[in-house]
Amino acid sequence: MSPRLRRSTRPFPPDETLPEPVRPAGLVLDARLHLLDRQTLDVDDVPVATVDDLEIGPPGSSLLAGTDSVFVTALLSGPVLATRIFGGRPPASRLHRIDWRHVTDVGTTVRLGVHGDSLDVLWVERWVRDHVIGRIPGGRHDPG
Amino acid sequence: MILGDLLDAPVVDSSGRVLGFVVDVRLVLDGPVDGLLAAPRVHGLLVSPRTGTSFLGYERTGLDAPALLARFLRWRHRGSFLVHWTDVEVASADGVRLADGYRRWSPAIPGVAHQRP
Repeated sequence: MSPRLRRSTRPFPPDETLPEPVRPAGLVLDARLHLLDRQTLDVDDVPVATVDDLEIGPPGSSLLAGTDSVFVTALLSGPVLATRIFGGRPPASRLHRIDWRHVTDVGTTVRLGVHGDSLDVLWVERWVRDHVIGRIPGGRHDPG
Repeated sequence: MILGDLLDAPVVDSSGRVLGFVVDVRLVLDGPVDGLLAAPRVHGLLVSPRTGTSFLGYERTGLDAPALLARFLRWRHRGSFLVHWTDVEVASADGVRLADGYRRWSPAIPGVAHQRP
């Protein structure tokens, strides 16, 4: 069962009306709601990967303080199927980064301004194409 | 740091009292422009007494369809709140500790009419 607070230990009345915060100047996104699990498309509208996670703060940092401004630096994609089922997450070295500077639009999909072939995240697909599919007779040209 | 490490982490106040769990991270695109878009800045954390099903976001948006599901999920996540990043003392995969005098805000996404059940 996912973690939750028992009703008897909740510190605040549940139906309390809270004040609305001041609206920030930029576009507001909730990471889980608007970014995670979204499909990324490259500049030719070719699907690249899904956004499995985000890198925030300086790479390698494990502790963040509210006194510092923290920014999203990259979208992360990797082999997360098993960890989604059994828990945990893959080691950081198995996650591929797509720098935020490549992102051109965030909507139903996340659009990138680069070709997918130039991104590390597709290396498995490229390797299979070159070493497996390409060795099958007829595997190096369009059918028909 | 990887954002997934923060999600579902427990949130405590300065006295160690558990307030809930991080169910989402609110970002604002007002950071330095690098490429076509501004870098998303971590604006705050959304804290809820429970973690499951919050990814649908009914408690933060004005969505009211399907009506039965919307009402149920909004009721399930009553008590959720937003805390600004400046009120966070320290955040790690082990949990989030809020600073003294932190303030709780409505979790509704600004610009979206929040409908209470």
